[in-house]
Amino acid sequence: MAKKGIQSKDPHVLNLAKIVGYDPVRKSILYEKEDLLAYDCDGFTLHKHLPRVVVFPKNTAEVAAIVKYCHENDLPFLARGAGTGLSGGAIPLNGEVIISMVRMKKLLSVDFENRRAVVEPGFVNLKLTNSISDKGYYYAPDPSSQYCCTIGGNVAENAGGAHCLKYGVTTNHILGLEVVLPNGEIIEIGKDGVPDLPGYDLLGLLTGSEGTLGIVTKITVRILKNPEGKQTVLAYFDKVADGSKAVSDIISAGIVPAALEMMDKTAIEGVEAAAFPVGHPKDIEAVLLIEVDGIAAGLDEQINQILDVCKNNNVREVKAAQSEQERAKWWANRKTGFGAMGAISPDYLVQDGVIPRSRLPEVLKRINEISEEFGLRIANIFHAGDGNLHPLVLFDARIPGESERALEAGSLCLKVCADVGGTITGEHGVGIEKREEMRFVFTDEEIMAQTEIRQVFNPKNLLNAGKLFPSPGRCIEVKKEIAAAASK
Amino acid sequence: MSLREMDLKQEPACAPKTLGNYLWSDLPDENKWADCVHCGMCLESCPTYELTGQEQHSPRGRVHLIKSVAEGKLSVNEQFMDPVFACLDCRACTTACPADVNVGGLIEEARGQIRQAMPLTGWKGAINKLFLQELFPHQNRLNSLGSLLKFYQKSGMQKAVRKTGLINIMPKHLVEMEAIMPEINEPVRKKFKDVDVVKAKTETKHEVAMLTGCVMDVMFSDVNEATVNVLTRNGNDVIIPRNQTCCGALHVHAGDRETGRTLAKKNIEAFKDADKVIVNAAGCGAMLKEYHELFRDDPEWHDKALEFSQKVEDISKYLHDTGYEKPKAEMNVKMTYHDACHLAHGQGIRQEPRDILLDIPGVEMVHMPNSDRCCGSAGIYNITNPDMAGAILESKMENVPEDVEMISMGNPGCMLQMAIGVQKHGRNQKVVHTIQLLDWAYQKEDSLKEGK
Repeated sequence: MAKKGIQSKDPHVLNLAKIVGYDPVRKSILYEKEDLLAYDCDGFTLHKHLPRVVVFPKNTAEVAAIVKYCHENDLPFLARGAGTGLSGGAIPLNGEVIISMVRMKKLLSVDFENRRAVVEPGFVNLKLTNSISDKGYYYAPDPSSQYCCTIGGNVAENAGGAHCLKYGVTTNHILGLEVVLPNGEIIEIGKDGVPDLPGYDLLGLLTGSEGTLGIVTKITVRILKNPEGKQTVLAYFDKVADGSKAVSDIISAGIVPAALEMMDKTAIEGVEAAAFPVGHPKDIEAVLLIEVDGIAAGLDEQINQILDVCKNNNVREVKAAQSEQERAKWWANRKTGFGAMGAISPDYLVQDGVIPRSRLPEVLKRINEISEEFGLRIANIFHAGDGNLHPLVLFDARIPGESERALEAGSLCLKVCADVGGTITGEHGVGIEKREEMRFVFTDEEIMAQTEIRQVFNPKNLLNAGKLFPSPGRCIEVKKEIAAAASK
Repeated sequence: MSLREMDLKQEPACAPKTLGNYLWSDLPDENKWADCVHCGMCLESCPTYELTGQEQHSPRGRVHLIKSVAEGKLSVNEQFMDPVFACLDCRACTTACPADVNVGGLIEEARGQIRQAMPLTGWKGAINKLFLQELFPHQNRLNSLGSLLKFYQKSGMQKAVRKTGLINIMPKHLVEMEAIMPEINEPVRKKFKDVDVVKAKTETKHEVAMLTGCVMDVMFSDVNEATVNVLTRNGNDVIIPRNQTCCGALHVHAGDRETGRTLAKKNIEAFKDADKVIVNAAGCGAMLKEYHELFRDDPEWHDKALEFSQKVEDISKYLHDTGYEKPKAEMNVKMTYHDACHLAHGQGIRQEPRDILLDIPGVEMVHMPNSDRCCGSAGIYNITNPDMAGAILESKMENVPEDVEMISMGNPGCMLQMAIGVQKHGRNQKVVHTIQLLDWAYQKEDSLKEGK
């Protein structure tokens, strides 16, 4: 399988190969079209572009050397983790040099006394919890892709997850970062993992900057002690309005569940047709997956309160998980929900709107109208507790015009969220996908202010250019470009 | 621009069928990639992705490339071949995939296209032809080879070859294989060649037919013998159809789907009168259960294959479902269990073999972390991709608990590969088939009874 030496005529390929070295079996640089094609998109598949080359550094020094080379030679570049992002943050729009971080995947140290761990960016999210669970600890942010996604990618997107309702998103769990700046300089923020350093909150700025300000090469994260107890219930509702009212009532009753998830009828059809069914009734309109955790003594009371709220909202049936296996099964069903849509539709577009919880019933109604208007099915899987909606627009890219319609329907869903006082992304990031929708929530001046901050870190704009913000004045053309690319 | 338009699917079967740059017969099934939404949940399940971290060596990357050929973006060429043939076909991604994408099936279909586009030439072609076409399908030749190997072992030649260093003229991975070659015994098909039905030792409750397999019957005839013993002890009359042949899994994995079809037809015919077909090799069982995938363009044989596949069952699942006598003799062994890919991922059989082992008195089971991770055997992958297979075996061996005496599993390919692992990494575990251990427990019970 391995070729002898590098067969490329591109001098940049040859020079980059000198930095990462030549590995005949595992190849540390990819430059042939067949290999590059596998990198033309991430979890967002509506827009594709070939990278110039993909390099696999093994350490911070190699990352810095690659970045410095790109900086000096004006080569666009970007960092990529597992490529599970849903907004296109790792798509090489400008034929970038992709710096794949997956071979920097070590757990460097765990400090139980101070409850922190240091990982390399390519370390997979769930592996951290698996590595420390025998000592009774875990890493809280749990995006649904946690089986595969990297913590470096989580930092870039400020990833959330089902349990963020109670525990917060990635930024609440980052104590320190080592970052390679776009000119190749290596800096450390939050040294030694001491939180709340004086001065500006650079950790907060870097976390969620979608790979536009620097490349993270080392991460100090907070680890938590496992909660003493956990209880999980499923609640089935005949009417979606009753389900959403129950969500709103649970929160306003002052209960903070660890997770409060909802799926609607179309979503249930998808997960039940896929690999991890749990046997939800087919004729219900909504299912709630509710989990409470904490000191064991108070849990029964909380669950009883939740059950009362559900009953007051005409719940058809509620059941508690009887074993850890059952609980795991329910969560697998929920967490594989997006991928499961493949079982009922060839393509999907996932949106990521956030709304005030109290507006849930009307927003769901409006999304349903959009679905009917566009003749496209929309499944709803979402973190109901924190008002983070994931409408999944189901479509078939092979049918001419359908990708464009899906994009438009998705955008309208976000408009609805913005209009009720919410926003366009909770945890998936803006990437390529929602650049134009940034205008729903920011004025031109506000966007300009943010690009000026980017300018400070990334003055040549070689690092992940064209992401996160709309290009000034070109919004309409860009939208058309995406639609045109999508239909190819 | 893609040639794959909606109307293409509706064209009559008589039209010359192509799909983008797939120009040969037996086209890949586009419904299989239509299920994939590129979510990436498969990545960490894939041994070759774990090793390389590269998309083109991941399930979703491979599906993406296979689809790209149909869209006309890639051609069927050497560069495309590399990621498609580096797949172990271990099916771990099928277990991980939320949408049940049949990646393994797609890989096999794409390999079929590659082999038609670029037939193997040179020594690779010769080796492939020798093993896949001239050897495995022909039981008598396999038996002769078996006799030769037996002669090699018994005559002192093995000792001489090892001692004189003559062995070093072979490639390294073949030396490793020679070192762990099991002792060759008489094949079951030879032993029972004049017997129509091996009668149950007790009252007959069921009648089953048994696939003896090609390699299994020569290299591991003792496993086949154990299978016959266990079946007959538990009230099964066992028929060993004479016309059966190699299951074709190795051919299909290698992209030779035409030979796969020929063998499949022969087996479907050979087992025509059977109600149950019992298999003790996970790779063969999974293939038999998927025969219909080979006949997507042939409705008549497709239906026959589908009907046949319903009759196929792995020995451990069969015993679990129909019941078996729990052995009474103590085996006193500390062991671990390795999930063969085509048993766990391919057939969804995980608990049944473990239950059988735990029903044997004195068996202490030690958990093997990542027990359902491929060992790198993957049919003849350890011969065709020795570097990757060696690295995968190494990470497998790291997970084998230090203090166990035996590793049990349900597939001959794994047994060979794990034996290489034990030898290469200086371990001392005995590699056994699940059914062997059950048979030994029965035998011990009998000899204790006789002793009394």
